[in-house]
Amino acid sequence: MAKVCLKNIRKVYDKGIVAVDDFNLEINDKEFVVLVGPSGCGKSTTLRMIAGLEEISGGELYIGEKLVNSVAPKDRDIAMVFQNYALYPHMTVYENMAFALKLRKQKKAEIDKKVREAAEILNITDLLQRKPKALSGGQRQRVAIGRAIVRNPQVFLMDEPLSNLDAKLRNMMRAEIIKLRQRINTTFVYVTHDQIEAMTLGDRIVIMKDGIIQQIGTPQEVFESPANIFVAGFIGSPQMNFFDARLECSGGFYEVLIGNTAIRLAESIQKKLKEKGQEPKNIIVGIRPEHILMAKKDEPGALPAEVDVSEMMGSEIYLHAKVARKDCVVRISTSNIAIESNEWFASGSRIDLVFSSQHMHLFDAESEKNLLT
Amino acid sequence: MEADSGHPLSASSIGVQIMKKKAKALRNTGSFIAFMGPSLIAFTCVLLIPFLYGVYLTFTNYSPITRTSDFIGFGNFAAAFTDKAFLDSLLKTLSYVFFSAVLCNLVAFLLAYLLTSNLKAQNFFRAGFFTPNLIGGIVLGYIWKFIFANVVTQIGKSLEYAPLTTSLLTNPDSAIFAMIVVTVWQYAGYLMMIYVAGFVSIPRDVQEAASLDGATGLKKLFKVTIPLMVPSFIICFFITISRGFMAYDLNLALTNGAPYGSTRLASMHIYQKAFQASQYGLGQAEAIMLFIVVAVVAVTQVLLTKRYEVEA
Repeated sequence: MAKVCLKNIRKVYDKGIVAVDDFNLEINDKEFVVLVGPSGCGKSTTLRMIAGLEEISGGELYIGEKLVNSVAPKDRDIAMVFQNYALYPHMTVYENMAFALKLRKQKKAEIDKKVREAAEILNITDLLQRKPKALSGGQRQRVAIGRAIVRNPQVFLMDEPLSNLDAKLRNMMRAEIIKLRQRINTTFVYVTHDQIEAMTLGDRIVIMKDGIIQQIGTPQEVFESPANIFVAGFIGSPQMNFFDARLECSGGFYEVLIGNTAIRLAESIQKKLKEKGQEPKNIIVGIRPEHILMAKKDEPGALPAEVDVSEMMGSEIYLHAKVARKDCVVRISTSNIAIESNEWFASGSRIDLVFSSQHMHLFDAESEKNLLT
Repeated sequence: MEADSGHPLSASSIGVQIMKKKAKALRNTGSFIAFMGPSLIAFTCVLLIPFLYGVYLTFTNYSPITRTSDFIGFGNFAAAFTDKAFLDSLLKTLSYVFFSAVLCNLVAFLLAYLLTSNLKAQNFFRAGFFTPNLIGGIVLGYIWKFIFANVVTQIGKSLEYAPLTTSLLTNPDSAIFAMIVVTVWQYAGYLMMIYVAGFVSIPRDVQEAASLDGATGLKKLFKVTIPLMVPSFIICFFITISRGFMAYDLNLALTNGAPYGSTRLASMHIYQKAFQASQYGLGQAEAIMLFIVVAVVAVTQVLLTKRYEVEA
C-alpha cells in the first residue's frame, strides 16, 4: 500500500509522437483511481509507465516516497492485470498464481497458503489444477486477478480487465472488483474506456484526451460539473446534448437564446455568472437527456421539436428529435406517460420540450471550457 | 403402372432418386479427380511406384549389367545386417545427425533470440543469416572445401596453431566435424526464421507479466519463453533430423566420403552400393532400413516433444 505520484510525466515515441504530456496526478494510499478516455488518449501508456513497461520520457514517478523512473518492473512492487489475462499457458492455475512467489524464493508452505487464500477469495479453488485453456473468459480473469493479489502488492494496476468479457459477465465482474477492493484494501489504478466502469469503480476519475488530462474529480464532480465539452460528452449515457446559443443579459438577468427561444437561467447559474461578471457572448449549451422534459401547454421557454425515432428501453424511452436544427436525445420515464399515447412519439410528430434550467451547462464557444466552474 | 404413378415411394420415383444420387456421386467423383488427380498422379509416379518398386528390388538380386532378376527372399536384408561398412556409415550418420541437429538448433535459437531483441538492422541480419540456405549443397560444399583448404589453413599458419595448418577435411578425426560446421552454417539461418516466428508469436503481455512477476533474463527464457516455443522446437528438430539422415549433396561435394571413408554417411554408402557396385537389391534393402530408422527417430522425437506443447 502506497501512494503514487506522477509529476509532469511525458511520453514521446519515435518520430516525436507525444502519447502523454504533462501528466500530474497524486494518487492517495488505498485510493481507487480510474483513467478513462477514448482509444489513443494515453491512458494505457500512463499505466504502463507506472508498471515500468514503458520508459518515461520526462517527469518524475514516485511510488511511496521512492523515485522509480529507472527502477525495473519487478522491483516496483506492483501487480498488473492485463486485458487479455496474460496467463502462462503452460502452467496450471496454481502454478500461475505461485510463479511470482517462487521467483521471490518464498517457502513452499507460505506460497501454498497464499495461493489457496487468494483462490478462496476469488472462488477458483476448484480450478487450481487446470490449465488456462480449460477455463472460460471470466475464470481466466479471476486467475489473472488472483495472480496479482497473492503478491500483496503496493499498487494494483488493471488495464481494461473487463473489456474481453460479455456484457453480463462484465457487470458481474465489476461488482466483484468492488468487493475485492474492500477486501484487499490497496492502491488501485484502473484503466478503461467504459465510462460506466469508471463511474462505478473509481474514488476519482481522470479523464484523458490526446495524452492530456481533461479533468480529475470524483464521479459526481465530473458528471455534474464537467470541465469542458469533451468531458461533458464523454461522461453520461446517452451523452449530453449540445446546442449553439447566445448568452444575453437583459434587465440584470441572464438568459440563453437557442434559435428564437429565450430561456431564463436558474438562480444558481445567474449567481455564478454575475460573480464572474460574464459578458454576453456566443456559447454552447449542454443539457443531459434526463434534464429535458415534455413542455406543458404554453409553457415559457418551450422549444419546438420534431421526433425522428423513439427507442423503447423498458423503464424509459429514448426520444431522438430535432431541436433547433440539432439532433437531440430525450430520456422519458415510461412511468410518467401513458404508453397508449405513444403516437406522440411517432416519427415526424411535433412536440414541445423544455430544458431544466438549473441543469444547464454553459460552455465557451471558442475554448469549449465550462463557464460555470 | 398405377401403383408407380400413384404412390410417392413408387418404383419409378425410387428409381429417379437412385439416379439422382448416382449423378451426385459422379459429380463428386469428378470434382475429386479434378482437384486431387494431378497431385495424386504426381505422387504415385514419383513417389509411390518407385518406393514399391524399390521394396520389390530388395527381394531380388537384380543386376543392371546382366539384366537378371531372381527372387531371393530376405537375403538382401540379411546381407545388409552383416555389411560392416553400412552399419559403420549408419553409426556415423547417427552421430552426424545428433551433433548437427543439436548445434543447428542451438545456433538458430540464439540467433533468433538476438534478432528479436530490438537490435538495430535486425531485418538485415535475418536476411544475411538466411542466405546460406539459398545456396545449393553442392556449391556450398565446394566453397567450404576451398575455405577449409586455403582460408582456415592460412589463419592456422598465421596463428601458429598446428591443428589448423592443414585442411580439416584431410584428417579423419576432424572431417566429420568440418561437415557439421558447414551443415550448421547452411541450416541455422533457415531454422532461425522458424524460431523468430516462434518468438514473435509469444504474446507480448505474457512476457510483460513475467517481467512484473520477477522473471528476467535467463529465468524468463527458461521458465516462460522456451516452454511456449515447443511447437518451433518440434518443427526444427524434425527438419534437422530428417534432413541429416538424408544428407548427400554436401557430403559428396565437401568430402566425397574421404578421408578413408571416415565421412561416408549412410545415403552416400547406399548410393555407391546401388549405382557404383551395381548391387541394386542390397542398396535398396539398406535404403529401406535407413527409411525405417529415420521414421522411427523422427516420429519418436515428435511424439516426445508434442507432450510439452501447449495451447494459449
